[in-house]
This record gives sequence, C-alpha cells and structure tokens, in this order.
Amino acid sequence: MGSTGILVALIVVTIVLTTVLLVRPAITAGTTGKILAFVALCVLPALCIEAGMSTHMQRSEQTQFCVSCHSMTTHGQSLYVDDPTYLAAQHFQNHRVSPDMACYACHTDYTIYGPFKDKLQGVKRIYIQYLSTPPANIHISGGYSNLQCLHCHAGARNFEENPVHQPMMDSLTTNQVSCISSGCHDTVHNASAVGQLKMWRPGQ
Amino acid sequence: MKFGGLGIQTFIRIASVLIILGVAVELVSLRWVHPLAFVLFAFVAVSLIGLGILIYLASLVLAVSTTGDNLGPNAKTGNQAVPR
Repeated sequence: MGSTGILVALIVVTIVLTTVLLVRPAITAGTTGKILAFVALCVLPALCIEAGMSTHMQRSEQTQFCVSCHSMTTHGQSLYVDDPTYLAAQHFQNHRVSPDMACYACHTDYTIYGPFKDKLQGVKRIYIQYLSTPPANIHISGGYSNLQCLHCHAGARNFEENPVHQPMMDSLTTNQVSCISSGCHDTVHNASAVGQLKMWRPGQ
Repeated sequence: MKFGGLGIQTFIRIASVLIILGVAVELVSLRWVHPLAFVLFAFVAVSLIGLGILIYLASLVLAVSTTGDNLGPNAKTGNQAVPR
C-alpha cells in the first residue's frame, strides 16, 4: 500500500468515526465517547490535512502535473523534440533529470523554502490561467537562474573542464552571464515552434 | 456568549458535518493529478476540516463554561457539584 493508499484508509476511518458522532453525539457524555470525539474530530482530521498536503506536494513535482495545464501542453511536447540542441528535450530524453520530475528538477530553486515559494507561484499561475488571460509566450519572471543548472553541473568534470566555461566560470556562478543566453544554451523549450519540429517517439 | 446556548452535541454535529465534507473533498482531490486538485485541497478541504476542528475545540471550552454557569449558588460556597 503506497502513501496515497494509507491516506485514503485514514480518510475512510475518519469518515466512519465522524459519522458515528454525527448520528449519536450523545456518546460523547462518557469517557470513551470523549476520547473517540477527540480522535475523530481532532487527531485524525489533522493527520488527514498533514498527509494530504504531503501527498499533493509530492504530486505537484511530477511532470504529468505540470503539463496538465493547457498553457503548458506545448512545453510538455517540447521534451520530445528530436534535436540535440534542445536543452530541455536532451535533459529529459537522456535522463539527466528524472523524467517523472523533469519540470521540477530544472524549475525549483533548491532552497529550504523553495517548494513553498514554487507553490505560491503556482497558485498565481492558476489565477492567470482560469481568471485572467495567460500570455501568448510564457516567460519566467525574473529570468532563469544559473543556480538551477549549477545545482547538478557544478563540480561536474565536463562542465568545469569545458574550455568555453573555464574563462567565464565566475560570471556563471554569480549569475552575471546566463547559461541560456544567446550563443550558449539558448534553445530551451522553443514551445511556439513545437508543431513544426520532428518529435522523438520512445520505443520506435 | 451566544454560542454557549448551543449544546455540545450541536457543536459536535456541526464539526462532524464539516470534517466529513472536508475529507470527502480531499478524497476527490486525490483522484486527480492537476493543479486545480491542489487548489481544491488547499483552499476548500483544508478550510472545511480546519473549521471543523476549531468548532470541536471551541465546543470543549464552551461546554466547560456552560457547566460552570449552571453550577448555581453552591459554586460560591464551595459545595460544587462535580461536572460530568
């Protein structure tokens, strides 16, 4: 039984015990009833919230979760572009990031409150998606930070010994020169052109 | 307090209904991997469950104060009835 199964079992137990209290609240007059009420109306619901939050946070790290939004469909398709110059596609197809967490791996900032900040940003985007007008071209507010690349690449031999990287290493680590700036790794998703590109079909 | 007029059983019924609704919404949100499922959980389910817990906890406080109010004149003389 996975964590979701345990949570569902917890929810079912909570519903059963709470229904007992709903139908027969008089049982709380006795000591056993008081303990039951405390468990059913305080302990179990609190556990349901905690476990539910944990499950939803884990789910929100999945690629499937991110590309389920209409605006992100082309970004999801761009992961299958059959072109080695497409940065996101190459990371996804060659498992440089976990395919199940491809979006999260490159778009979280790896700080202690990173997942929380990501969630706040996500709620803002949901507002734009459903209650406002999503922009035609989606850009990351504040630009893409090199720190997200360096989380994995810093210290890697093929990154550190690369003759192009070496002279500008300080600029890269201090975010003065972007990894995705023009002339470098500048083709990331190119989501608007996905319809015209050759796509990789796994297993074919 | 006005709410003190309500019996503990009424509070427990209200808390039960809110918690059942909240966990039912949570159950629905778990069937769906989508940003709206997270919103449904975080804003609807958590609010309902949280409110249910608060009402239950409030019922404990209010039930005590109600019992205290009903002790009558003996409460001041030291011959207090033991609240059940």
